[in-house]
Amino acid sequence: MISFPEPISQLIDGFMKLPGIGPKTAQRLAFHVLHMSEEDVQHLSRALLAVKKDLRYCRVCCNITDVDPCMICRDELRDHRLICVVQDPRDVAAMERTREFHGLYHVLHGAISPIGGIGPEDIRIKELLDRMRDTLPKELIVATNPTVEGEATAMFLTRLVKPLGVRVTRIARGLPMGGDLEYADELTLTQALEGRREI
Amino acid sequence: MLLESLHLRHFRNYTSLDLDTDAPINVFVGENAQGKTNLLEAVDILALTKSHRTHRTAECIQWGRDFATVAGRVRRRQGTVSLSVTLTAAGKQAAAGGIERTRISDYLGHLNVVLFAPEDLQLVKGSPQLRRRFLDMEIGQISPVYLRDLQQYLRALAQRNRTLKAARTERRIRWEEMLDIWDDQLAEFGSRVMIRRARFIRTLERHAQVIHCQISGGRETLRLGYRSLPASWTPENVRDMYLGELKVRRSGDLQRGSTSLGPHRDDLQILLDERDAAAFASQGQQRTAALSVKLAEIELIREEVGEYPVLLLDDVLSELDEARQVHLVSAMGAKVQTFLTATHLQSLTSLRSDLRVFAIEAGRVHGKTT
Repeated sequence: MISFPEPISQLIDGFMKLPGIGPKTAQRLAFHVLHMSEEDVQHLSRALLAVKKDLRYCRVCCNITDVDPCMICRDELRDHRLICVVQDPRDVAAMERTREFHGLYHVLHGAISPIGGIGPEDIRIKELLDRMRDTLPKELIVATNPTVEGEATAMFLTRLVKPLGVRVTRIARGLPMGGDLEYADELTLTQALEGRREI
Repeated sequence: MLLESLHLRHFRNYTSLDLDTDAPINVFVGENAQGKTNLLEAVDILALTKSHRTHRTAECIQWGRDFATVAGRVRRRQGTVSLSVTLTAAGKQAAAGGIERTRISDYLGHLNVVLFAPEDLQLVKGSPQLRRRFLDMEIGQISPVYLRDLQQYLRALAQRNRTLKAARTERRIRWEEMLDIWDDQLAEFGSRVMIRRARFIRTLERHAQVIHCQISGGRETLRLGYRSLPASWTPENVRDMYLGELKVRRSGDLQRGSTSLGPHRDDLQILLDERDAAAFASQGQQRTAALSVKLAEIELIREEVGEYPVLLLDDVLSELDEARQVHLVSAMGAKVQTFLTATHLQSLTSLRSDLRVFAIEAGRVHGKTT
């Protein structure tokens, strides 16, 4: 491999630590940075640092936030007795885009997976129970991913929370809206069939 | 369906070969190591784009060449379609009706084959794993949902097994609760796998019994056994039954550190006159039973696809006595186009009207009229 001057090879190494970026792409990005205006590079480096320095986890819902508690948990217009449990901060963003859900969230930061070395104590289940201790929500919506691990995590939560007298629901599975039936994969179609309802 | 012609380029020991194969029964006759099986392999590749003999497609390319091509014309009820599969060191391309199909699933299904090779005779005598693989492969061919359910089941199984192993070394966590959630997942997908297998085996048995009766001259009755799931049971019943069994086995599983019960351990039982054929039947009986089960697949595919597949018999005749050979080939040839290899023709000469014979000698083929 051709060796580059120290600063640029450092930058290449840095980019290569990012997911989905191999040596070729890292090189392309590094040389692109070389040709960017100093102002843009300053902005980028500040943004990178700020992610580490200014972001923290919301003490209520465990979502990533720059203010604690986060803007969602502070919002008095939201229904504070409705909690939607998700695996990832990106799931919160996805739910928010719907503008249809007006409760609060709880971000687990993962799903139970013994193979991955992730037990119930490694995700934010304890925090969920803690926040429910003062006031019980009227409903807990479990929106973990429809994978074997997501389902198992949903089941684990249900068994913990249901005995407290909280209504626990699971989001539905099935066909995406606006899609053609013929393009749905077999498993989705089967589950949609099983989850059919009377109209 | 009928494979009307077969064309090979640089395929194994064939530099260039064009055969008219529109007869009901096509026989490749020759000494050993002349290239008879290569021709059956070519038909298999034309149907499935992969070989039953090797995972490395490069092996199929003639020495010193960059590619091998297998092509053929298939006549079906809806019309005729040309198929071709080209193998290179880098991969393979498949085309149907002159249009390249980038997704293999768009190509598969144009030509259905059932192949019976000497190793399939192990189906009765071999390990349960062999029979499970047979079930999974065959059900997978007709039900994509089955394969997805099986994948999810195996995923849940791996998670449960890891939990069982961890429970032996780490005492601090509440294992019972952890096992509960994996039991649920295992039962959810495991019950689907069980139900699909049980249904498949019931249909397979229905066809295999008729065929076995024919080949054995009515001397033996064949039965196939799997978990006995009453037909009246709903999926919920099966799931609850499996869940209950898992709970009973739990303390034992904790000691073993693995799951002792489920579709990954279930076996397909093959019974002759109500006795386990693997333990009690003679070698000849075991072979006939294996053959009956494989041939039952032909009927199953016809039920699913609406047309008979093409049957490939690789060196199977030598494993059967003469009466059974004639019976098999005539019974099949009447409705299923058959390709078979043999070292000599003796027992088949009585079928001469349906037979097209190709004499194979070191990668060359001489057409022969019997």
